[in-house]
Amino acid sequence: MLAWRPMVEPLQLRNLAWALTTTVECILFVQLARKKFLNMYPWFSFYVASTILQSAVVAAAYRVYGVSGIWVWKIAWGSQAIVVFLRFQAVVEVTKKILGGYLGIWALARRLLLTVGILVLANSLLFSEGNWYWISLNVERGLELSIGAIIVTLLLFARYYRLPIQRLHSALMVGLCLYSVFFVLNYTLLEKYIQELANFWRFLDILTYLATLLIWLNAVSRYSESAAHAPPTAIPKELYGKLSSELNLRLHHLNQQLNQLLRSEDHRR
Amino acid sequence: MSASLLFFLFFALVVLALLLWASRSSKHQFAPDMDVFEALSQSRHCSRLAQILQALRPEDTEYLQQIGQAALMQALRQQRRRIARTYLDCLQEEFETLLEISRALAVMSPEVVGMEEMQRWRLSLAFAANCAFLRWRLRLGLRPFAGFTLLSDMATDIAGQLDTATTRIAEAAVRGSEPSAPGHENIGGR
Repeated sequence: MLAWRPMVEPLQLRNLAWALTTTVECILFVQLARKKFLNMYPWFSFYVASTILQSAVVAAAYRVYGVSGIWVWKIAWGSQAIVVFLRFQAVVEVTKKILGGYLGIWALARRLLLTVGILVLANSLLFSEGNWYWISLNVERGLELSIGAIIVTLLLFARYYRLPIQRLHSALMVGLCLYSVFFVLNYTLLEKYIQELANFWRFLDILTYLATLLIWLNAVSRYSESAAHAPPTAIPKELYGKLSSELNLRLHHLNQQLNQLLRSEDHRR
Repeated sequence: MSASLLFFLFFALVVLALLLWASRSSKHQFAPDMDVFEALSQSRHCSRLAQILQALRPEDTEYLQQIGQAALMQALRQQRRRIARTYLDCLQEEFETLLEISRALAVMSPEVVGMEEMQRWRLSLAFAANCAFLRWRLRLGLRPFAGFTLLSDMATDIAGQLDTATTRIAEAAVRGSEPSAPGHENIGGR
């Protein structure tokens, strides 16, 4: 979220929004601690803590070096790399919480999500333009898009298999995805056409992040342990193998009926 | 507009749209106590296909036209199209039931075969597309009878094949539910 900070003028409104997001981050962290989430969701808790720390570190760097110093730039991007890494770990953690109880499905999803993540990141870097000055932003945009794609694939995957997702997990994932997608949109539009509207877009970026924080805060505050779903009892894998093949055969037969019907229609024309 | 801008805008908007779609509350939920065998043994609509097709033979309507009962022929054809659509609905329902069973199995299995899951997913897409296509053709009155006549000949074969398949499933389940397989009783949810 601090991608804009080294390059902006200290506008009053934005500073206010920054202070507000940091306050909400602190409240969220306190709520995480109160609900004993620090042990249950360590990576997500680390991520929230890292955003608070980042705000403090960058604010201190501004004060010491000024807003346009090279050191501020290095500190902002160094801390941003840590924040993005922790966000990615938080996504992995919540994904495990959602799918971890379903052994077969989790093994399949892991491969699928990894492939989607790598493909999106590679494509993002391939399509990125600009010089080395922009490389960090391009990499971050690729990672954010990759995170967004992974989350959406996970949600679609869970929907396909009718897997129950706790309200908390759903809110965490929606928040993470929303922020990632808006980061990509903001940066993409900012990069090319609307430098003159940069302040407006950066303000939107903070608002998006604030909305994300509020989604998480609401979900964490409303969390109750009774909402957790018990994982299903496993069946032997041999049984799955046999039944799965037979079911596919039956599905094939039904599909064949339709295909024959379609083909016969075409022949009559 | 550059390719880069188009790519990122398009991709981000697609992800956003999919996120909204995937976040909707689902009507269907995984039923851990799903009785697989009960679901498998439910009556199959394609086993009644022969009777349905018998009533849909085009000769019936052609005969009516020859004796000057064109209005009656039209009415009958409409009725038959309605029957055909109902049959398609039933076929789709059956397909959905089988898909639900396969999803339940995959969720409960400690190991799933990616290729089979992918194949099933592709089948479900193809089936949904074919079904929608056929339904529209029937709605538009595009000669719905010929295909059904052809299917009539297939019906008995398919019903037989499905019976064999169900028997094999039951046998596999019995073998799989030997004492070496803990938790086997849950497949029936009982």
